[in-house]
Amino acid sequence: MKWILAVLLLACAGVTAQAQAIPPKNTLGSGPEVVQAGHTFFNKTCTGCHGVDGGEGGRAPALGGTRRYFRLSEGAIFDAVKNGIPGTGMPNLGLSDDDIWRTVVYIRNIRGVASDSIVQGDAVRGMAVFEGKGGCLQCHMIRSKGGTIGPDLSSIGAQVTLAHLRESLAQEQPIPAGYVPVRVTGPKGEMISGIARNDDAFSIQILDDKNRLHLYDKSDLSSIAYATHSLMPHDFDKKLTPEEFQDLLAMLSRQARTKVHILLERENEAGR
Amino acid sequence: MNFAKLILLIGCTVQLCAQVTEKQLLEQPGANWVHYNGSYDTRRMSTLTQVNTSNVGSLTNKWIFHLPGAGRLQCVPIVVNGVMYVTQPNEVYALDGKSGRMIWDFHHVGPIADRGPNRGVAVYGDKVFVSTPDAELIALNASTGNVIWEVKLAEPEVGYWSPAAPMIVKGKVIVGVAPGDRGLNGFLDAYDPETGKRIWRWDSIPKPGVPGSDTWAGDSWKHAGGNTWLTQSYDAELNLLYWGIGNPSPDFNGDVRMGDNLYTESVVALDPDTAEVKWHFQFTPHDVMDWDAVELPVLVDAMYEGKMRKLMLHADRNGFYYILDRTNGKFLHGSPFVQHLNWASGLSPEGRPIRVPGVEPSMLGTKVCPSSIGATNWMSPSFNFQTGLFYLVALEGCGIASKSTEQFRPGGFQYRATGDVLLRDSSWKVYVRALDMATGKLVWEQERIGSNGLGGGLLSTAGGLLFSGEINGEFIAFAAKSGQILWHFNTGQQINSQPITYAVDGKEYISLSSGGDIFSFALFEPQKAVAK
Repeated sequence: MKWILAVLLLACAGVTAQAQAIPPKNTLGSGPEVVQAGHTFFNKTCTGCHGVDGGEGGRAPALGGTRRYFRLSEGAIFDAVKNGIPGTGMPNLGLSDDDIWRTVVYIRNIRGVASDSIVQGDAVRGMAVFEGKGGCLQCHMIRSKGGTIGPDLSSIGAQVTLAHLRESLAQEQPIPAGYVPVRVTGPKGEMISGIARNDDAFSIQILDDKNRLHLYDKSDLSSIAYATHSLMPHDFDKKLTPEEFQDLLAMLSRQARTKVHILLERENEAGR
Repeated sequence: MNFAKLILLIGCTVQLCAQVTEKQLLEQPGANWVHYNGSYDTRRMSTLTQVNTSNVGSLTNKWIFHLPGAGRLQCVPIVVNGVMYVTQPNEVYALDGKSGRMIWDFHHVGPIADRGPNRGVAVYGDKVFVSTPDAELIALNASTGNVIWEVKLAEPEVGYWSPAAPMIVKGKVIVGVAPGDRGLNGFLDAYDPETGKRIWRWDSIPKPGVPGSDTWAGDSWKHAGGNTWLTQSYDAELNLLYWGIGNPSPDFNGDVRMGDNLYTESVVALDPDTAEVKWHFQFTPHDVMDWDAVELPVLVDAMYEGKMRKLMLHADRNGFYYILDRTNGKFLHGSPFVQHLNWASGLSPEGRPIRVPGVEPSMLGTKVCPSSIGATNWMSPSFNFQTGLFYLVALEGCGIASKSTEQFRPGGFQYRATGDVLLRDSSWKVYVRALDMATGKLVWEQERIGSNGLGGGLLSTAGGLLFSGEINGEFIAFAAKSGQILWHFNTGQQINSQPITYAVDGKEYISLSSGGDIFSFALFEPQKAVAK
């Protein structure tokens, strides 16, 4: 009898503990107006530590950056805002559940892919910039039109965050793997320039500007030189007017031919 | 000027580089392996001789590439100018044929993640073509994997998918669909490789009013099967595309579809320009054992009964080896290639099976040999013009076959009306067999000891070799003439695909997919292994 009672009590305790971890239901949804309200609320309430618009703050992590996050789900972010994070400077601010939900929706939005973000600008004009003044078509393809030396951008909106897109256009970025410019001298004395689609200690596979692949054993090469900068220009904020830049950003953010699965959804599994 | 700028400047004048031409498609396999079946005639016989009977003992594994998440690969690698293209469902990988290093990968995100295998790509011009589990045909840039176009072949929601490697014929992408076991009617499509526009569709089940429709009783043609799920053959000189057609639905209960059920269990000769049927030959009229006739039609020009003839060799799942005149479909010869065959006592002078009464699925179950797995299946045969032998994988085995009155349900459900219990007794054995091409008589055989499944298909080379991959993971080289085992390698994983051979920088490689990996082999030589 005592054993049964003990098991029952333990079971009840388990249920109670589990119930406390489940946040109250979000009755506001996650539409544009909630994101906007959350944005306003965040910039009023959280920026003292976290920085404006989810950017870098002085006393706490940027919440919209590209670092590894370990609180990813709505429930985990809700819990951190509602109860604070013990042992850190993150306090319980005593906010209403609705205000917490607005904040949660906003944080999830700035961490989500660009195609899920609300981006001002005219995508049709943005495509004209892409094809014309921006010169992007030389290297990049969108929906089968364009060059191949840079990544195909047909699904870029579904692959990266809006912040990443903006930074790629306006700040120098590390050269991504598979796109390092390289120049080699081959076994017959031929000079080949292109990007290294793959590169290891023993072999290199180069895509040249004419969409041709060149596959080499490294031991057959008499010279190999890598560029230190990406082929991707990073001055579109200067080259384009603010309106053109915003239109280009809007167009790119909507490129989602394929909805790419976001691997960082699982709580505490980011980056593993 | 730094060279980044140089590349950008040159990039303004981008010209696409044609990778596979019409001329290459007509050649026998050598350095390149550009067809699923190696060549249009489907002999799977390479002209390469560097690896041969005198040195195959020093064949060694050069590299292995793992396809993430893969476990049961069925793809046949395609190799063009040293670049190898391999697949698993929804994914394509371009590899360096010398090193196995990945150049690019493509991932299709569709509604169907897991439906059937994928058996490979076709390459034409500067594009790679692949079909998907959600019945799409996709064209990719061959150098980068960028999507050029994608078209829907059929509705995946009703149960269609497309596992076969597409085939390029006269500037068209030919692609078929599966399955025939869900009451979904098959078709064969041709698409413009540049635009993805459909040029023609040929329905393998004739609709009312079309010749052949009178071989289906009542409305049975509506849920009739007859799918087109394996890449087949083409004769450029005769301008005929040969395609083997799958089983009728429901598989095991023929009572609801009385008649011969054309064009199921047939090979059809189509005009590739118009999809007009020029002739057909049905191996198993009114099949009730799921014996898809997709086994490859092998095209050979040879002396036959004193005359040079254009022949088609075909070992059918029903247990008979056939020789047809491929100019007109005339039956020339048929003989069993397995000992366990009880459903027919022979073939008529026209090639029609002489059925043994009562040896068919019944309500209580009847022993039928071969089983529904077939006396052979989709694993490729091969023909060696040096030995004059036709090689195939043969399964000796029977099943207890039963039928039911199950009715068709829409939504992609199985529509088989029961099946057979496989009799995996001591007689259940798998063999590699070499048949005299002209008579079908057994010249040599080697048992695939320890294999209870058919496993992979065959590859012949002008080096006098026959390569064979077993379900238990053994990859074996035979002397093509005698069947003597000359070399083997344990891949440690099931082999369910066909080997190929290719050459880069004068070195011959033998390659195949096994389990979740691509293996590539070449003759041993000390490594240069100089890292830079």
